Amino acid sequence: MISLNALLVLSAILFAVGLAGALTRKNAILVLVSIEIMMNAANLNFIAFWRAGMVELTGPLFALFTLVIAGAESAVGLALVIAIYRHLKSVDVGNIQSLSG
Amino acid sequence: MSAADLLLWSFLFPLPTLVLSALGLPKRAGALSFLSPLAILVAGVAWLAQGAGSAKVAVPDFVRFLPDGAFRLTVDPLAGVMLLVVGFVSTCVFVYSQGYMAHDERPHRFFAFLDFFVACMCLLVVAGNLMVLLIGWTGVGIASFLLISFWWQKDGGAPLKAGYLALGANAIGDAALLVAVVLVPSGLGELSGLGAIAHEAPERATALAWCLVIAACAKSAQGPLWWWLPSAMAGPTPVSALIHAATMVAAGVYLLVRTAGVIVDAPTVAYTTAWIGVWTALLAGVASLWQPNFKRGLAYSTVSQLGWMFTAVAVGAPFAALFHLVTHAAFKAMLFLSAGTVIAATHHEERIDQVGGLAKKLPFAFGYFVLGTAALIGTPIVTAGSFSKDAILEATLASPWPELGWLLLAGAFLTGAYAGRLLFGVFLGAPGPATEHAHHPGKIFDLALLPLAAGAIALGYLEAGTGALSGLLHDVVAVGEPVHVQPTLLGLGAFAIGLFGVAAGALLARTSTKCLPLPPFAELWQALWGEAQAIPEGVAALHTGRVSRYALIVLLGVAVSIGVAVAPVAGREAPPPVETKRRPYVPTDPRKKKDEERRKKKEQEERARRQQQRKEQQQEMRLDATRGDLKPLKAPAKPAEGSAP
Repeated sequence: MISLNALLVLSAILFAVGLAGALTRKNAILVLVSIEIMMNAANLNFIAFWRAGMVELTGPLFALFTLVIAGAESAVGLALVIAIYRHLKSVDVGNIQSLSG
Repeated sequence: MSAADLLLWSFLFPLPTLVLSALGLPKRAGALSFLSPLAILVAGVAWLAQGAGSAKVAVPDFVRFLPDGAFRLTVDPLAGVMLLVVGFVSTCVFVYSQGYMAHDERPHRFFAFLDFFVACMCLLVVAGNLMVLLIGWTGVGIASFLLISFWWQKDGGAPLKAGYLALGANAIGDAALLVAVVLVPSGLGELSGLGAIAHEAPERATALAWCLVIAACAKSAQGPLWWWLPSAMAGPTPVSALIHAATMVAAGVYLLVRTAGVIVDAPTVAYTTAWIGVWTALLAGVASLWQPNFKRGLAYSTVSQLGWMFTAVAVGAPFAALFHLVTHAAFKAMLFLSAGTVIAATHHEERIDQVGGLAKKLPFAFGYFVLGTAALIGTPIVTAGSFSKDAILEATLASPWPELGWLLLAGAFLTGAYAGRLLFGVFLGAPGPATEHAHHPGKIFDLALLPLAAGAIALGYLEAGTGALSGLLHDVVAVGEPVHVQPTLLGLGAFAIGLFGVAAGALLARTSTKCLPLPPFAELWQALWGEAQAIPEGVAALHTGRVSRYALIVLLGVAVSIGVAVAPVAGREAPPPVETKRRPYVPTDPRKKKDEERRKKKEQEERARRQQQRKEQQQEMRLDATRGDLKPLKAPAKPAEGSAP
C-alpha cells in the first residue's frame, strides 16, 4: 500500500517540475504542458486525501471536474498558440510582449 | 415613496439615456442626455422640500467573504447635498457639451461615457458602506480614463497616455480602499458609524485612517499622487469641468468628510494629511504660474483648492471643507467652461501666449471668468468663495497647528497670482495671434453657464447668515462656528492679499511668454513637481510584457500571502490546533466489501424465510391436531436442518 506521504511528495515534485517549466520554458506549447503537469499534481492531491479517509466521493469528483476543465483549457490555449503562430511565425513566449509598458 | 427613497436609486437615473446614446439615439447627440442629471437635481430639490430625510436599504451577504459584504445604500443630508451638487453641475455641463461636442465625430459615445460617469458618481455618493463606495469609486476612475482618452489619436496619442496616468494613480487609490474594506470589522459596516472604530477595534483604526487618506489623495490628486490631474486636461473641456474640477476629484474630500471621525482620531494621520493639503495648495499654486497652457493652469488651481479642503478636514473642520467643495464646484466648473468657450472660439488654441484681449469677442465668457476669479480670491459678500475660504482659514488658525493657517494665508497670494495671470493673459491685454480668427462659438456656450454663475454668487448664502447648510448637516458632520455675512478682519486680509496676487499675475501676463520662467533648478523641480514622469515611467518599466515574469510575481505574491497567513500574529498566542476526528485507515478492497455485504444480506433474508416457514408448519400441525388424523395438507418445501419438527 502506498502511503499518503509518498503520494503528497510525488504531487509536490510534480508541481515543482510544472512550475519550473512554466516559468522557464520559452516554447508556448511546453508552457501549456507544464501547466497541465501542475494541474495533475493538484488532482493527485485530491485523490490521495480521498483515499486517506474520506468516504464521500468529493475527491474523485473534483478530480473529474478538473480533468474536463483542463481539457477545455488546453484546447483554448492551443488555439491561442496557433493564432499567435499565424501572426508572429513563432511560439516563443519571449517574443510575445506587446503588453510591455 | 419619499424623495429620499427615490434618491437611493439615483445611480440608475442616467441608464435610459446611456442606453439611448449607446444606440446612437437621438440623432442630435445629447439632446436628451441632460434629462438624467436634471432628474437627479429635481429629485434632490424634492428631497429638500420634504425636509431632507434619510433613507436606507441593505442587502445582507452580498459578498460573503468580506467582513461587511452587505450591499448598503444610504441617503442622509450629506449624500443629498452631494447629489444636488452632482446634479446641478452635471446638468449645466451636459447642456454645454451639446454645443462643445457638436462637431465631434463620435458625440454619442461621449454622452454615453458622461452618463456612465454620473451613474458611478451617484453610486459613490449614496454608498452606505465602503464596499459599495469602492464600486462607485472604481467606476468613476474608469469613466475618467475613458473621457480623458476620448480623443486618443490626437497629438500622437498624448490623451491615451494621460488616461493611463489617471488610471494608474486611481489604481493606487483603489487598492488602498480595498484594503480599507477588508480592515473594517463586521460590526461597523455602515459608513456613518465608521468613526466608532477607535473604540471597537483600536488596533485597526490607524491603518484604516492611512488607507482612507491614501485613497482620497489618489482621487483628489494630493501630495505625492498629484501627477495625473494636470495631464488629464488632454480630455474635452466639459469633462475637465465636470470630472476634474467639480465632482470626481472632490470625491476624495467627500470620503474624508464622511469618515472624518476616523481621521481625526488618528492624530499622526490627521497631522500628515493637513501638511499634505497645505504643501499641495502652495506648490500647485506655484506650478500653475509656469504653465504655458491656460487649461493646465486651471488644473493646478483645482489641485491647490483641493489642498485647502484636505487641510480643513484634517484640522477637524469637515464642514468647512464640504462648504468649500460646494461653492468651489460651481465656480471652478464655471471657470473651466469659460476656458472651454475660449478654446472652442479659437479652434483649439490652449497656449496662453497665443491668445489675449478676448474680452470684446467673448463678453459672456469674460464676465464668467471675472466672476470665477473673484470667487477664487474670495471677494467678500458678492461671491460664495469668500465665505467657504474664510471658514477654512479660521478653522485652520484655530486648530492646534496654526502655522498651517498662516501658510494658507500666504497661499491666498498665489491663488490671486495664478487667477490674475489667466484672466489678464487670456481676456485682457494685447490680442494674440489666435485672437483675430476667434469667433463666438454659439449662444449655448453663454446660456449654459448662467446657473453656475448664479450658484457662484448665491451658494454662499446657503450658509452665511442663514446657517441652512450647517442646520441640514449637523447630525452627520461636525459643524463649527456659524458663518456670518459681514466679512471678518481675516477675510478682508485674505482678500487684500489675493488682490495683490492678482496685480502680480497681471504683471506676469504682460511679459512675452505670459508665464513664470522655470526656476534655475528646474530639473529638480520637474523631478519633484513639474512634469514628473518618473513615477509612472518607473511603474511602466515593471511591465516587460513577458508572461513568465508576471507568473513569477504572482507566485511571489502567493508565497508572501501564505507566509503572512501562516506566521503567528505577533503578541498573540497561536490558536490551538484544530481537533479532527481521525478514522483509522483500514485498507479494504471495495469489491470485496460489497461481496461481504451481499453475503450478510442474503444470510439475513434466509434466516427470516426459515422462521416464517417454521411458524407456518407449526400452525398447520395444530390444524391437523384439531381435525383428527388428517395428514398435513402441504408438506414443507424443504426439510429444515437441525430443529425440524
